[in-house]
Amino acid sequence: MTNRVLLSLLILGSVFMILSCSQQDNGYIRFGLSSAPLRLDPRYATDATSARLNRLLYDRLTDFDETSRAIPSLAQWEQLDSLRYRFVLRPDRRTFSSGERLTSADVKATYDFVLDQKNASPHRSSLALIKDIRVVNQDTLDFELSHADVLFPSYLVIGIVSAKAVQQGINLDHNPQGSGPFSMLAWPEEGRLQLQRRHDKQVFEFVHIGDNTVRTLKLLRGEIDILQNDLPRELVNKLRKEKGVSVFSRTGSNFSYIGLNFRQKELGVRRVRRALMHAIDRESLVRHILGGKTRVAESILPPEHWAGNKQIKPYAYDPEKSRELLEQAGYNNENPLRLSYKTSSDPFRIRIATIIQQQLANVGIEVELISYDWATFYGDIKAGRFQIYSLSWVGVKSPDILRYVFHSKSVPPDGANRGQYRNPIADRMIEQAEIATSIKRRGQLYQLLLKILHDDLPYIPLWYEEHFAVVRQDIKGYRLNADGNYDSLSEVSRQN
Amino acid sequence: MKRPWLPMAVCLLWALLAIAGSWLPLDPNQIHLDSILLAPGTGAILGYDDLGRPILDRLILGARTSFLVAIWVVSLSATIGILIGTISAYIGGWLDLVIVRVIDIFMAFPGILLAIAMAGIMGPGINNVVIALSVVGWVGFARLARAQTLSVRERDHVAAAISMGTRTHRIIFRHLLPLISAPLIVEATFGVAAVIISEAGLSFLGLGVQPPESSWGSMIRDGARYMLVTPHMVLAPGVALMLVVLSVNLLGDWLRDVMDTRIRQTGTDK
Repeated sequence: MTNRVLLSLLILGSVFMILSCSQQDNGYIRFGLSSAPLRLDPRYATDATSARLNRLLYDRLTDFDETSRAIPSLAQWEQLDSLRYRFVLRPDRRTFSSGERLTSADVKATYDFVLDQKNASPHRSSLALIKDIRVVNQDTLDFELSHADVLFPSYLVIGIVSAKAVQQGINLDHNPQGSGPFSMLAWPEEGRLQLQRRHDKQVFEFVHIGDNTVRTLKLLRGEIDILQNDLPRELVNKLRKEKGVSVFSRTGSNFSYIGLNFRQKELGVRRVRRALMHAIDRESLVRHILGGKTRVAESILPPEHWAGNKQIKPYAYDPEKSRELLEQAGYNNENPLRLSYKTSSDPFRIRIATIIQQQLANVGIEVELISYDWATFYGDIKAGRFQIYSLSWVGVKSPDILRYVFHSKSVPPDGANRGQYRNPIADRMIEQAEIATSIKRRGQLYQLLLKILHDDLPYIPLWYEEHFAVVRQDIKGYRLNADGNYDSLSEVSRQN
Repeated sequence: MKRPWLPMAVCLLWALLAIAGSWLPLDPNQIHLDSILLAPGTGAILGYDDLGRPILDRLILGARTSFLVAIWVVSLSATIGILIGTISAYIGGWLDLVIVRVIDIFMAFPGILLAIAMAGIMGPGINNVVIALSVVGWVGFARLARAQTLSVRERDHVAAAISMGTRTHRIIFRHLLPLISAPLIVEATFGVAAVIISEAGLSFLGLGVQPPESSWGSMIRDGARYMLVTPHMVLAPGVALMLVVLSVNLLGDWLRDVMDTRIRQTGTDK
């Protein structure tokens, strides 16, 4: 008898415990992430989620406006001469989360660390032109360059860490020491990160929920309050109809494309590349699969970018013309063009690849689809093991990407010209743009270059995917930014 | 004994669709962007999937996949398993000892886990699924065949055959196998059900057929992503899978009752 009483007490107790665990009334605002952040050290972080979270934890010297032009952030700058820049820190800047004041010594320590070859920072190569950094006083420092580059201020976007942390070798991944609007509260497990907003102590919890359906359900149940991107359009449309959550979207600038391998002799022929271009119905893919504010793309830089070309005439979907071009290149039903198409095993990517496969089949191109897990796929692409593949460039800001991707000297490991595209005219344009003495002239040269690339098609441009966010209705103040960052969290609040 | 008409009909339909599928005017891989995720009734009986392909057509194609895999895996593993089990029991000695140990080792692994590991190593693809499931599947047949052989090999007619100098393979094929075939046939039926489920499981994990080929498991996987929006995408292959597996199992049960002479004699089925 006593056993039974004990047992029921035990069951009651555990039920109570489970119930109390699921209560979520501690006032946290929860953000659902589709991929977990890897590193909270801005000197090393490269993945998109980490970069977005690091913007909350650290400040940067410069930032970008909506046209991707550099603007002052932590510091104003003036160009002393073609090789020297002076940066003056804003007087109203925040202190580090430890309470210490951010000075020019911290800036120097951060950049010196990144530039030191033995630290192997992935950001070193873009900053290698820095020859020397001199601290003038607490608020002022000078950068000296080894060669002139009018875009230099736009390279200084790495989060500033405290000099003390650098000297003491503190592990910033678990103990971030920045001056951003947020500070780290706890990182209890890989998929759950708690940040605290410094001015009002509001806690934000970033929860990694890989599965789309689960993330949607958790939002509807109120277990998370905000999610951004990475949901199929059908789920977003369903969420639009739900009470209690609101959905909003905006145009983005992340560029999706099909990469081609120029060592493949079929693809070295421009007619064939054009045939591919005309065979893909980007409009209807955008309309039926991507939807919303996704835009068909013509080049790696979006038209609103300061170096973007608004005048490029889009390629039309024209299967007839595609077949004609293939015929001229010597392909027909008896001798069809055969290609293998690599994509990541992400279901959404496979879905798009399957549709493209069929559209290419309609003009007589036989495409074999190969999907690998992300690591294998990305490794193959970087090593040039592909015929065609699809991928996106995320967070493209500086037009430097054009050298990195299309210059014939940027073949891996020196860059990302993975298809070994070689065009002497494009090479010369890139080099000339880099020595241009004004930003305006540089922009004009890049626009010309984009036109050349659009004619020559080293990539098949697809689209710029939209950004969207779904938030619960009691959450106010969340805005979407052009590059999909989470900066507006510093103004978000819960209103009952 | 009452015949299970319904399960028989389901299995027959499954087999017919699988065999005749290639001659039917199907369009399982034709993508219609305009009909993405349309509900059943609007143009296609079972609606369209996330690429605007008719689900009924893909279901029939999937029936062929599961049927082919089931037939191949069961025949392969039955042949290998029965041969090994019978020979092992008949010959005995150290050979039997080694084989029993090998069987024990295989039994110690959870079958589907071993199949996942195998399919993972060999890479996805329907042929590799057949191989992976056969590697796991032969053990059951081997154990059953061995146990049955042990119980019949001391019988008089076997002793008579031996004393007349009959060759070993003749004894095994003429005097042993016919006697032990009944439980093996039943085992094969249950094997079919298990293989259908395993194939669906492997395809669900992405280790089975590759797109654009279709399998019920991969259809369920694709459908699960849209479960909140369009449940028909996961319901259709799910129900088909359940019906076929249930029917095969019911048939197996019935077959066991029919073949077990002891039950028939005592008349427990009245």
